[in-house]
Amino acid sequence: MISLKGKLNIIDNTGALLAECVNVLKHKINHGWGTVGDEIVVVVQQARPISATALASSTAIKVRRGDVRRAVIVRTRKPVRRPDGRWVRFDDNAAVLLNNKHEMLGTRISGVVSADLRLKGWGKIVSLAPKVI
Amino acid sequence: MVKLEIDTFSGYKIYPSKGKLFVRGDGKIFRFSTSKTESLTHQRKNPRKIAWTQVFRRMHKKGITEEIAKKRARRTVKHQRGIVGADIATILARRGQTTEARESARKAAIDKAKAAKKAKEGTKEKKTAPRTTTSAPKVSKQQMKGGKGR
Repeated sequence: MISLKGKLNIIDNTGALLAECVNVLKHKINHGWGTVGDEIVVVVQQARPISATALASSTAIKVRRGDVRRAVIVRTRKPVRRPDGRWVRFDDNAAVLLNNKHEMLGTRISGVVSADLRLKGWGKIVSLAPKVI
Repeated sequence: MVKLEIDTFSGYKIYPSKGKLFVRGDGKIFRFSTSKTESLTHQRKNPRKIAWTQVFRRMHKKGITEEIAKKRARRTVKHQRGIVGADIATILARRGQTTEARESARKAAIDKAKAAKKAKEGTKEKKTAPRTTTSAPKVSKQQMKGGKGR
């Protein structure tokens, strides 16, 4: 249940560490609550310092503090129900940064992601993740 | 057939649509059948110390007497075998010997040996009389061995 002001860990290698949710983008109705597999708009609160080589190049991804980006939620503390009746809960809230075309900004993911992503159409993220539960 | 999970804390079976699955930050999975086990795990309780868990029961060997009784039935029967130099008959005979029998046997052997020795000495004296005894010069062992020259 991520909504305004909700903090998420960014688990890809874009350089962002912590992001704060600003808006939850659901198809028709904006409920306000985002869960695993939902796209959200985030503001980057903490980011890793960008190396000099990255600064010089124009193609490298530069994510700075205060950037407004899109992201997809991959883990939530709030339990999510699986079709077989199981409830799955993670230890933290996490997301992966996206660009406007719903493609990942980073190239690698660290940690676990929820398998519910596959059902919502984020197969690419699932394939990149080291562990899917 | 759906796979039955077991609770990571108590060891109970988790039937479908029951309980929760918790994924910790490091990726370790915990399955809880009830909020009781969930709560205790978050309190960092050790299931080995909680008396109603399967871990505890197994550790303190509670309620598994049937299993043990079954296992006892299997025991290998030892067969006495003869070895090279002493076939099984001699082994058994030796084992059955009483101390008195052993003593008397020993004594008889000693007497026999003494008699044999005396007889030998008798024949030896006759033999050595005509022969001149040549004694080797007395050389110390060290010299014989070719010891180090100081």
